Amino acid sequence: MSLVEKYPKEVKQILSKYPPEHKRSAVMPLLFLAQREEGYITKAGMQDIGKILDITETEVASVVGFYTLYHDAKAGKYRVQICNDLPCALRGADKFLEELCGNVGIKVGETTADGLVTFETVTCLAACDKAPMFQTQGPDGINYHENMTINKAMEVIAGLKYAGKEVK
Amino acid sequence: MSKQVTLTIDGKQITAPEGALIVDAAKMAGIDIPVFCHHPKLEPVGMCRMCLVEIGRPMRDRATGQIVMENGAPKIQFMPKLETSCTNRVEEGLVVLTQSEKANAGQKSTVEFLLTSHPLDCPVCDKGGECPLQNLTMAHGSSQSRFIYDEKLHLEKQVPLSELIYLDRERCIQCARCIRFQDEVAGDSVIGFDERGRSTQIVSFSEPGFDSVFSGNTTDICPVGALTTADFRFGARPWELDAQASVCSQCPVGCNTTLNTRREAKAGGNIVIKRVMPRQNEEVNEIWLCDKGRFAYHYTESKKRLTKPLTRTGKDRKVNRVSWEAATKLAGENFLKAKKNFVVLASGRLANEDLFNLKTLADQFGGKAVLYSHIGGGELTAQVGVSAGTNLGVLGSGSTIVVVASNLYEEAPIWYLRVKQAAERGATLIVMNPRETKLDKYASFVERYDYGQEIKSVQELTKKGKLGDAFMKAQNAIIIYGSEGLGVAGSASLATACAKALNETEHVGKANNGLIGVWERANDQGAWEMGFKPEDDLAAALKGKVVYIAGADPVGDDPKLAKALESADFVVVQDILENATTEIADVVLPAQTHVEREGTFTSGERRVQRFYPAVAVVGDARADYAITAQIAKHMNFIMQSANANIVFEILAETLKPFEGLTYEKLSNVRVQLPMIGRGDMYYGGTTYENTHGLGVHLSAGATRGETVRIPRAQKEALPKVKDTDLLAVPVSKLYHRGATIESAQLLNQRIGKTTVSMNFDTAEQWGVVEGAQVKVSFDGVSGEAKVKIDETVSAGVMLVPRGMGLAIREPAVAKVKL
Ligand code: SF4
Ligand code: SF4
Ligand code: FES
Ligand code: FES
Repeated sequence: MSLVEKYPKEVKQILSKYPPEHKRSAVMPLLFLAQREEGYITKAGMQDIGKILDITETEVASVVGFYTLYHDAKAGKYRVQICNDLPCALRGADKFLEELCGNVGIKVGETTADGLVTFETVTCLAACDKAPMFQTQGPDGINYHENMTINKAMEVIAGLKYAGKEVK
Repeated sequence: MSKQVTLTIDGKQITAPEGALIVDAAKMAGIDIPVFCHHPKLEPVGMCRMCLVEIGRPMRDRATGQIVMENGAPKIQFMPKLETSCTNRVEEGLVVLTQSEKANAGQKSTVEFLLTSHPLDCPVCDKGGECPLQNLTMAHGSSQSRFIYDEKLHLEKQVPLSELIYLDRERCIQCARCIRFQDEVAGDSVIGFDERGRSTQIVSFSEPGFDSVFSGNTTDICPVGALTTADFRFGARPWELDAQASVCSQCPVGCNTTLNTRREAKAGGNIVIKRVMPRQNEEVNEIWLCDKGRFAYHYTESKKRLTKPLTRTGKDRKVNRVSWEAATKLAGENFLKAKKNFVVLASGRLANEDLFNLKTLADQFGGKAVLYSHIGGGELTAQVGVSAGTNLGVLGSGSTIVVVASNLYEEAPIWYLRVKQAAERGATLIVMNPRETKLDKYASFVERYDYGQEIKSVQELTKKGKLGDAFMKAQNAIIIYGSEGLGVAGSASLATACAKALNETEHVGKANNGLIGVWERANDQGAWEMGFKPEDDLAAALKGKVVYIAGADPVGDDPKLAKALESADFVVVQDILENATTEIADVVLPAQTHVEREGTFTSGERRVQRFYPAVAVVGDARADYAITAQIAKHMNFIMQSANANIVFEILAETLKPFEGLTYEKLSNVRVQLPMIGRGDMYYGGTTYENTHGLGVHLSAGATRGETVRIPRAQKEALPKVKDTDLLAVPVSKLYHRGATIESAQLLNQRIGKTTVSMNFDTAEQWGVVEGAQVKVSFDGVSGEAKVKIDETVSAGVMLVPRGMGLAIREPAVAKVKL
């Protein structure tokens, strides 16, 4: 099913926000829409968006490639994005990350066996003063989790797993 | 002329047009600022930082706004940091330092940064020898890197973006020239950046990959060896190559080219063409070529080249290798015997000189000179065609361009590009076609008509309200007409309607006004100027005749013509490649391709341009004009043939449009802007500078003040179609199975299979689906094809591509069967 067939109302509403001659600007919200269900944007999704906006698939793919919050590959339902950029690292992010991986039993880039959680490292999320920190990206959008300890982080992850199962 | 401003660059006072970029102004003054991302044909982006300079501006008093003076001169205030000269524009009184210690340090650092992730594998890189990064590294780079070698990025080195273009990810410096060319110039945004920062890389997701007929140009303007053509990569080093000026032989645009050649052991020590490069001509192709023009040259070295004269004699049609003398004698004797039954059938593959001799021969012996083409109307382009001073590259607001019955992107790619740009500069573009074409996107008006209604549609052009006004009241108007869905008679009628519209609105006889035909071949316009004309019914015109065929394969193209030639009295063929017609001919004469000899082509814009010999003659082939003269000698008629120049002289004395033209005039050049094609740091690409001639326009009947004679437009005789009928219409395709394209193996994938297109409902009605292999039949022709569903095709219509094995001459009622 194409994006328009699946979300006719949403697509129409998004397009209505842009003057027709600048409709290509709707690429951002349409990508979020396409990503909503599966947590990543399929090739077919990019083609759909290209068709809706009269731009090429390559142009859509370039936008997906540029922004770190768009994904073109399947991962867990929730992406746990831990910042290990320099300021966070100075506040112990690296050590935190290592322990967290150990506790959950996956490495960065891997997904838990139940397919619910994937770990990723990211660069500065503008919460350096509250490091260690991470954000979660999932069906419920993006949420920040700051001033983390391993225990607090494990609680968050347990919550995600619970929520993930519920949603399913 | 635009307002000029005065500024100082490196102590040199210069003037430059207001609004010019500093880097371009410097270039014009002979100051070479290094660039990577900047290209004079692209919008400035300032993303590589290579062009850093110090810029000082006259200081203004904050309170009064007056320029502060110091020692009688304006006080110059330099910015604390370096600025990019490719994004800053010239201003009155500006002081620019491109060589100061600070500027040098900035440029040096930029190179150093670039080199942190560039492999510098120049010894195995195709760009080595013509690469600005290599040159800048030599100029600025330090011999020791401060960067830890092991931390260099190592990336894939042979990524096919398509079967034509390869990417070396390691070498790419992310200047985005290729992407911007595709976006801004070509209008095919099929390559882009993926990822960001240090991971940025070029990707293409189109199907087929890098889906643009202009893709080869990106390899010219890529400032490093990241983009290379499958054709040339690892083929030769630039410094081994010779360069010879030529003209593309693939379509009526007449792009100026440079043939890069070298001697090769593989070729038995002969000189071979290694690549075809654009040669700058701002009035024709600027600095671009389409991929067909760039890659199709392989036909000149095909194994199928004819090398020796042959005759077929006796009942058993024995093939004999004979001398030139014997072969031309046999031909001449038979032509003499033919009397009124003599037909010369020639195509626009031939040069002006060849066609002139052929026409002279036909005239002398009462023969008929027939042009091998499916498009009519050339007697009108000779009268009201465009002439001196015409340049699509300057048309903008105030000008109107009408494109009717042509898919320019497929038929004359560089015209597509030029028309698109004219529209972007503000020209009114009117596109009239039965189906959507790529140009529609840039048009101010799109007119759809049904196949068969083209003439009516043009006749009503001036009555169409706003659209009509845009045409009538335009300062300049050009109509470009083609043969989409039309045969010889139909396109001739269309030309008539177009010429009439132009004439009535006084858009003839002056620069940037008139009619242009989208011909099939490079020199069809030249053939028309000589007096060649196509026949409505060619088969009938050939039956029982003595036929002299030059540069055409009627037997291979069309079974009906094959049949007609079977019953011809005597057939002489002079051509470059073996084909079905040379298989049946009584005499076969090997001709030289345009890369082996001198000559001229007349482009669709009626510009006569010279080409020059670049490689050795294949076998015993001779130039067409000389072959004709040799035959004529056996008919006791003396014709000039010592060299092309002499033939051209006589031609220019004989034919009014050519009056006053000489080879010397054709090879004149002027300074062309932007300055490109030199080994500078200001890198315009590997396009060649034009040192061998920009060509000269022919005069048109209307410019010479002659009365314009336009015949009445006949209604196109569309076959009677019932609602249930399927109407097959011919359309043109860039890559088809023509002999001069098919020899380039690289293009096979783009040529593809024979496909016929129709919309979903029509397909359903005929019980076929996308991809189905069907039997197509119409007008005594039948063959196999694949079905393609295309919603831009109108109901009840099937598009049949020309040159793909289904001999479609004109619209016909057709059938398809699974
Ligand atoms: S491939 Fe060449 S032109 Fe394209 S971004 Fe890379 S270096 Fe620039
Ligand atoms: S546009 Fe025509 S003349 Fe120019 S390169 Fe292509 S085929 Fe040759
Ligand atoms: S560095 Fe981690 S949030 Fe800024
Ligand atoms: S920033 Fe000026 S050339 Fe790239």
